[in-house]
Amino acid sequence: MTPETIEALRTYGLAILLAPLAGAIIAGAFGSKLLRDRTHWVSLLGVAGAFAAAVALFVTMQSAPVDARSVVIPIYDWITSGTNSVFRFELLIDPLTSVMLLTVTGISTLVVIYSRDYMRHHGTPEKGYERFFAYLALFVFSMCVLVLGGNFILLYVGWELVGLCSYLLIGFYYGRPAAAAAAKKAFLVNRVGDFGFGLGILLIYLTFGTLEYGAVFDLVRQGVTDSGAAIPDGRVTAIALLLLCGACGKSAQLPLHVWLPDAMEGPSPVSALIHAATMVTAGIYMIARCGAIFTASPVAMTVVATIGAATALFAATIALVQTDMKRILAYSTISQLGYMFLAIGVYAADSAMFHLFTHAFFKALLFLGAGSIMHAMGGVIDVRYFGGLRKLLPYTFITFLIGSLALAGFPLLSGFFSKDEIIHHALSVHPILGVIGLITAVLTAFYTFRMVFLAFFGPTRVPEGAVAHEAGRWMLLPLFVLSAGAIGAGYLGVEVTGKGFHHFLEPVFEHTFIAAGALHGAGHASVAHGGFWAEYWLMVLSGGLAIVSMIVAYVFYVRAPWIPGLVKASAAGVHRTLWNKYFVDEAYSLVVVEPARRIGKICVALDDYLIDGIVWFVTAVPRALAYALRTTQSGVLQGYGFSMVAGAAVIVVLVLWR
Amino acid sequence: MTIEHIATALAPELILLVGACFVLMLGVTGSPPRGRWVSSASFATIVLALIAAVRVGSPEAGELLPGLWITSLTIYTRWVALSVGALIVLVNWHQPVVSERGEYMAMILLSLLGVLLTASANDLVVLFLAIELVSVPTYVLIALSRDDTRSSEAAVKYFFLGALSAAILAYGMSFLYGAAGTTTIHTFTNGIVSSNFSFGGAGQAQAMIGTMLVFGGLAFKIAAVPFHVYAADVYEGAASPVTGMLGFVPKLAGFVALCKLMSAFGWNIPPELSWMIWIVAAVTMTVGNVLALLQKNVKRMLAYSSIAHTGYMLVALLVGPVAGEGPMRDGVAAMLFYMAVYGVMNLGVFALLTAFRTGGRDVETLDDLSGIARRAPAGALALAICVFSLMGFPPTAGFIGKLYIFSGAFSTSAAHPMHDAMIALAIIGVINSAIAAAYYLRIVAAVYMRTEKDEAIPTGGMPVRWGLALCTIPLLVVFAWPAALTRSATDAVAVVQQSIFRNSEAVATTDPPSSVHTPTLRAPTTDHDDALEP
Repeated sequence: MTPETIEALRTYGLAILLAPLAGAIIAGAFGSKLLRDRTHWVSLLGVAGAFAAAVALFVTMQSAPVDARSVVIPIYDWITSGTNSVFRFELLIDPLTSVMLLTVTGISTLVVIYSRDYMRHHGTPEKGYERFFAYLALFVFSMCVLVLGGNFILLYVGWELVGLCSYLLIGFYYGRPAAAAAAKKAFLVNRVGDFGFGLGILLIYLTFGTLEYGAVFDLVRQGVTDSGAAIPDGRVTAIALLLLCGACGKSAQLPLHVWLPDAMEGPSPVSALIHAATMVTAGIYMIARCGAIFTASPVAMTVVATIGAATALFAATIALVQTDMKRILAYSTISQLGYMFLAIGVYAADSAMFHLFTHAFFKALLFLGAGSIMHAMGGVIDVRYFGGLRKLLPYTFITFLIGSLALAGFPLLSGFFSKDEIIHHALSVHPILGVIGLITAVLTAFYTFRMVFLAFFGPTRVPEGAVAHEAGRWMLLPLFVLSAGAIGAGYLGVEVTGKGFHHFLEPVFEHTFIAAGALHGAGHASVAHGGFWAEYWLMVLSGGLAIVSMIVAYVFYVRAPWIPGLVKASAAGVHRTLWNKYFVDEAYSLVVVEPARRIGKICVALDDYLIDGIVWFVTAVPRALAYALRTTQSGVLQGYGFSMVAGAAVIVVLVLWR
Repeated sequence: MTIEHIATALAPELILLVGACFVLMLGVTGSPPRGRWVSSASFATIVLALIAAVRVGSPEAGELLPGLWITSLTIYTRWVALSVGALIVLVNWHQPVVSERGEYMAMILLSLLGVLLTASANDLVVLFLAIELVSVPTYVLIALSRDDTRSSEAAVKYFFLGALSAAILAYGMSFLYGAAGTTTIHTFTNGIVSSNFSFGGAGQAQAMIGTMLVFGGLAFKIAAVPFHVYAADVYEGAASPVTGMLGFVPKLAGFVALCKLMSAFGWNIPPELSWMIWIVAAVTMTVGNVLALLQKNVKRMLAYSSIAHTGYMLVALLVGPVAGEGPMRDGVAAMLFYMAVYGVMNLGVFALLTAFRTGGRDVETLDDLSGIARRAPAGALALAICVFSLMGFPPTAGFIGKLYIFSGAFSTSAAHPMHDAMIALAIIGVINSAIAAAYYLRIVAAVYMRTEKDEAIPTGGMPVRWGLALCTIPLLVVFAWPAALTRSATDAVAVVQQSIFRNSEAVATTDPPSSVHTPTLRAPTTDHDDALEP
């Protein structure tokens, strides 16, 4: 890369970080007094500016030769000791970063546009309007830190910052107990994951003596620690599993998925942006970034794939029976994130990124569509209370339908291609997990169209008091743009168009997932050996299954609405289990929360009597000292003068005649 | 040495002097007197001096005038003092009544001039005069700051005790003169090797008494135990904006003078004196923090907190300079860094106290502060940032300052004669930081969680608000990007060593000094050996 290119990338990278940060600061500082209902402009400028810079960065990167598109750009040293840098602020820019940046800033820009109307009712902004936009811009900044950071510390900083933003936005309606509880739950569950993540980073530092990506990954590949000794057995697996712990928290995978459905208490744009399209993909990004570490440990890779497949199936079954649209979408998100984990676990990180990319479009679209419905239904989002909205909300219906088709894997839409690819790779490495993926695809099509048919078909019903109205222009524009993406994004990665998406990412994964995958018989090699036809038939199979599934849903919920009731009655136990989400929350409550609460009570008792006693005693010493010393602070001048002179005399005497 | 050269090199000092005279006249001339313009004129003077300091300031190879040597310690001190000085003027903008404002602002400018001269003093007499030039105007400022008996009482107390400390300082300096045979600071080390000024010989007692008394005199300026007793009464008696200045200006001058004193001995003092500073540092931190625990009056609390901060900075002073290492290892660089940060964060709290009034009087107690967060969220946030910085919490500059100081104390080389003791001192410091959190958090709690009184109303004008904002923002900026301040502090230290060791012709021509000749001297560390190479 030429110095000019690097300089340009540096400028764009900084712009991507600083534009949303400036937006957040200005919106936060001047929002409530000066900007009020114009605050969205500030955030929009910041986020759209970041998007523009991300596009420029992408274009600039294209000008560099394919094998030289990765560069670490130091910005400044934070604290130095002598000539050593204790912590350096540096950006890592490579195709993976670029894809993430485009996804994050692009979707964010649309969500900010959408929020302008969503956060008002009948033209008046909601309470906290400016706060909302400040948080959104802050989130974009945090996510860009996470993605752009060139070492594990910055990754961790970004990681925690997005966690904070997520907390703030889930609890945006903090006056509502459910929202406050959901925010707390998200934060605490993420803390569990982040604790493991933090331990993983510490273990990396202990093992390799550095936290810079390049240095760590090189050492892992060479199999040595910083002192040149061989890495202890199992150390890499331990690091990978600890990092995975963080990824499971942030990306809502089993068993740390419980926070995501509750996170739907936040405003719908937040669900679209943070809890569907961007933040929850941080775990995928992190594993893809740390490919050197994960691929060095086959055990860890198997764990990743297994967790992914299990989560995909598990969440899809729950989504079958839920009635709250946003919750259905939340479980669907968990399930789709499971696909991405599965893909990474079978050495198809490029497919995972591809699915992440297409999923961002159609899931953001679905959430924004659900938001539009919620807006029209006066805050109700439970499909039991409305139906037949097809005529009332025509644009929302069309766009929602497109998103659903993409999610369901309807042939030739974006989700179809990316999901199919994952199943294909999974079948070639872990056939059982591949079959699970296929079953999940069937379930996905079913629950998605169950939701569509319940909400948009049948007799028209709206909740009492709701005045159904189609969304305003600011809300519809993002829906249309995202629909185009949901239809077309998939074509960036198909054979016909030369798999441009995958080739773009190839240099990043060349020495990690692709090299290791070849050793483990992953799909990359098989395409060349006539595997294309296997993939082709698989496409026909999964597409056909999706269509059959949709038809079944049509029969169940439009033609013969008595069937679901029958199924429910005949399998009441199963239904109850699914309805209660496998009782995971209850299990956590029983195993973790209640014992913790009981221990907490014991601790409080101990604290009140034992610790407080000790503390009282401990503080009594300084306190007593203070009272004793206070007598010297009499306020009498002569006393002060005497104490000074006496003090000087005592020092002189002590030092000279010690 | 042409007169132009001298005038250029001393431009900031000259600008301050002329500005002080001008402001003094401006306050009393005209009818009615043009007191309203005084604050703007003072601010402009300081900004001009700051520009001069940044533009023309470069270290000189030798003495500029007898007794004045512009080193890069001077350069650093100049811009720190003038930057914070500009903020001090902003915070004092509406003080006191218009008719007295001329004298008042002139005193602030003269006091700052004293700091600048302290930083370039190379002679004990000049040093003494410069230090007194820092102190004398502050007596006047306290008396003028409020129209009540409390400020008069504070002024009188401060004046008498200040005079006492000046006497101790001068007495100590006379001992040093007697021992060294010279008052020129940079030739002290010549005395060690060539004449009767030797810690090992007959002059030892004399030199040590002199050092201790000078330390005592300066301990008053920096409010170290046992010369701290005045602080609480004086801080409480003076008006808040003056108190904000009192916490910084004399302390800066005192620490710079201590640097000079230490470097006069090549940072190579006998263990008895090291232990004296060790004990003073430990006791100062502890006494400051412990007494602050009991206070309900924020100004008294901050008086004790300022004593505690002196203790932290003494730790760094004792670590001493380590050439080319930066403040993570270099105690003096850490101290200079901390001094700048302390000046800003301390002033920020007083700026907030200045910006509010309750029931017709200044805000002073925790009760007065309660509920401010609801009336003035921005002010409360600024206060919280300053307080968190004083506490040493991220994301503020105070965190980095404490990190530097304690990291330096933890990482002294094994050759450092106080190696183990420094670790113990660092631990005492960390424990003290924890104790300090107790009372600092009470300020934040009062502002954000208590609402029962909720009477304080914002009254300060725009300059005070700007002062508060300009105290707060740098704290965040320096946390995110400490490199610039760190580099300045590191550069300043290079000269603390060089001007005394490397540039001193005598050292270059005579035998390498120190341990060879004086067995009782504290053994120089390897790092110091580097510095001693001619």
